[in-house]
Amino acid sequence: MWTLEGAISAAVLLILLSAAAWGLRFAAWDWVPEWLLRYAWWLPVVYAAYSAVRVPLVPQWRYRVHRWEITADVVYTRTGWFSRKWQLVPVSRIQTVDHRQRWMERMFRVATLEVQTASHAGSSTIEGLDADETRRISEELAARAAELRDDAT
Amino acid sequence: MSENGRSDRQSPSPGGPDRAGADDRPGADARAGTGAGGGWAAAPEAPEIPEGSAAGPDAAAPEAEPAYRLSPLTLVTAPLNYLRNYLVPVLVALIAGTYSFNPWMLGGAAAAVATMLLSGLFTWYTVRYQVGAERLEIRRGLIGRSHRSIPLERIRGVDISAHLLHRALGLAVVKIEAAAGGEGSEEGKLDAVTAPEAERLRRVLLRRRAYLRGDSGVQRAEGADDAPARVAAEGEEPDTEVYFTVPASWYLYSVLSLGYLLTPFVALATLVGVLGQGLGGGAAERAGDLAVGIYERASEMAVSLLVAGAVLAALLLLLAMPLFAVVSYTVTHWRFTLRRRGDALIAERGMLTRQSVTLERRRIRGHELADNPLERTRSAVRLRAIVTGLGQAATRAMLMPIGPRSRVEEVVERALSPFRGRLARHPRAALGRRLFRAVTPFAVAAAASALLAPPWVAGVFALLALLGVPLGIDRYRSLGHGDDGRQVSVRSGSLRRVQAVVVRDAIIGWTWKQTLFQRRVGLADLELSVGAGSGGYSAIDVGFAESAGFAHVVTPEMVRPFLEGAGPVAPAVGDGAGPDAGEADGGGERSAEEQS
Repeated sequence: MWTLEGAISAAVLLILLSAAAWGLRFAAWDWVPEWLLRYAWWLPVVYAAYSAVRVPLVPQWRYRVHRWEITADVVYTRTGWFSRKWQLVPVSRIQTVDHRQRWMERMFRVATLEVQTASHAGSSTIEGLDADETRRISEELAARAAELRDDAT
Repeated sequence: MSENGRSDRQSPSPGGPDRAGADDRPGADARAGTGAGGGWAAAPEAPEIPEGSAAGPDAAAPEAEPAYRLSPLTLVTAPLNYLRNYLVPVLVALIAGTYSFNPWMLGGAAAAVATMLLSGLFTWYTVRYQVGAERLEIRRGLIGRSHRSIPLERIRGVDISAHLLHRALGLAVVKIEAAAGGEGSEEGKLDAVTAPEAERLRRVLLRRRAYLRGDSGVQRAEGADDAPARVAAEGEEPDTEVYFTVPASWYLYSVLSLGYLLTPFVALATLVGVLGQGLGGGAAERAGDLAVGIYERASEMAVSLLVAGAVLAALLLLLAMPLFAVVSYTVTHWRFTLRRRGDALIAERGMLTRQSVTLERRRIRGHELADNPLERTRSAVRLRAIVTGLGQAATRAMLMPIGPRSRVEEVVERALSPFRGRLARHPRAALGRRLFRAVTPFAVAAAASALLAPPWVAGVFALLALLGVPLGIDRYRSLGHGDDGRQVSVRSGSLRRVQAVVVRDAIIGWTWKQTLFQRRVGLADLELSVGAGSGGYSAIDVGFAESAGFAHVVTPEMVRPFLEGAGPVAPAVGDGAGPDAGEADGGGERSAEEQS
């Protein structure tokens, strides 16, 4: 799914860029320097090459790098390839548990789980979970959070 | 009116449908009372009556008070407030109108003033507030009615502020902050009531809230609070403890604060902006003609004269800066007082606009000590509280203005709990990173501009890069984290060095972040999530293993599952695997990942 999403966004951006380059040539305002006009089409080409490499690779990376784990007390997530991020959120401090599905996520039957605490810095999201699993987890988490709740906002 | 309210007395229970009905009754009566006309007690006389009845039965459930109006003096302040906002357009219209005798303009201005007066009357006539047994109700509006009801348990703080006009008339604005949903949406604001009434409201609201929460500790404090409350509405009470009043010499510290040095510029810019706006709005054509005239004259003048004038002005401003700084600082922090009343800290300050912020003790999660390099030379520091659910925390959470460190620490000792541990230094590698971060951008810019731009630009950047060296070193030296068993502290920054001290219990999560470069040298940023203040406080460039150990010491139950699997407390660092090494060994009960 991430591959598809990446491909679509890359395609959209590519179209925009080409349109911009083409428009730039077509309009040919006098304040635009001449060299820019001549090489304007490079930009879409370079971007196309870049995204051709990126689109299949990055989701693989993401898939391999993203980890999550929910124990009785703590929600743990790990993200990031170059810049890594580990996050621990104790279940007892969870305030809301959201799960949501965008249209493309529904197509692939996955969902996003969002765990929020009182601090915006302490909220974490887990993307690309199985939809049924997500629902089950979110319900469990909510129940567990209510059970353990201490009012330290 | 009190009789009506009595039916409202119930045990504090979560609101149900019948609850809402009961609550509505006094309100309905209130509206009926309006028809009777003069039967309404205006706020200034009224406070004494409920004061006795509310303070009398100590342990009994407090009952609803009659509904009050704002002070009649609002009739004066509200129009003046409006007037202040629209002063420039109205003035311009007035002047322009008389100048060319344009009846439309004059009429418009008169109508505007009349509208303001009328709206003031309406505000006074329609706004009504009532402290019920469980909620505070504020009604307003004649045509579009609004009725705000704030559950007393939810009230987080009651702020009182008064600007110059209010103070001249003995009024105050009461702001009631409640914990609900979005920022400001659930705030109640009473503009304006008399100052004693404001004090009384604060006391009554906080006391009733404490009662509803069943806070036994507060009950006792409340008993102590009640007795003198009957004697004097405002004044020294035994339960109040003044921690600190700003000595006059402290105002001079403002010279060290960059913000206050720049204030005059900001003020000037705002003034210019306002003037421009006002002129642009009111008499555009006229101003346009005038501007053209001025412009022609100016262009005739020698340019050198203009430049000289500008330089002179700049010099004057430069000389005046410290003076302005002290003056503006003194005005805002005049007689800054920090005191405790019951279980709340109250910070009061301001010469023209007197502002008082009430911070509940139990909402304070820690404190922040901030200083800049200039202040550090005089070992001055400022103190702020880390509080949950406080809007505009930047200004409102301030507990002490800039002052000598020893004195500030003394106040922390008495009012809050000081951090007793030592801050651990961060690994040597962090120094390299700080230096790199401070120097590189400017060095790169210098190199780039050496190629592309005139040499002096490159020189400036090179100088900045050189300045980055001491900055980086200082940044490294200020890095630190520590734990004293009860509280956790992290410190970072140089130009604005902040040491945050947070109670252990307040930590609601950990986040490690590691960039590629950090991974190479085995460092990471550790962020403690706190549901208060700015939400997260970071220990920058901690040794990875060290930080995991630190987190483990502070909140063992939170971190342990992820560490134990890896054997020793410190996770393997060399391979950059981090806590997931523990995960791989099966620390948790389920570990899975799904993807399409």
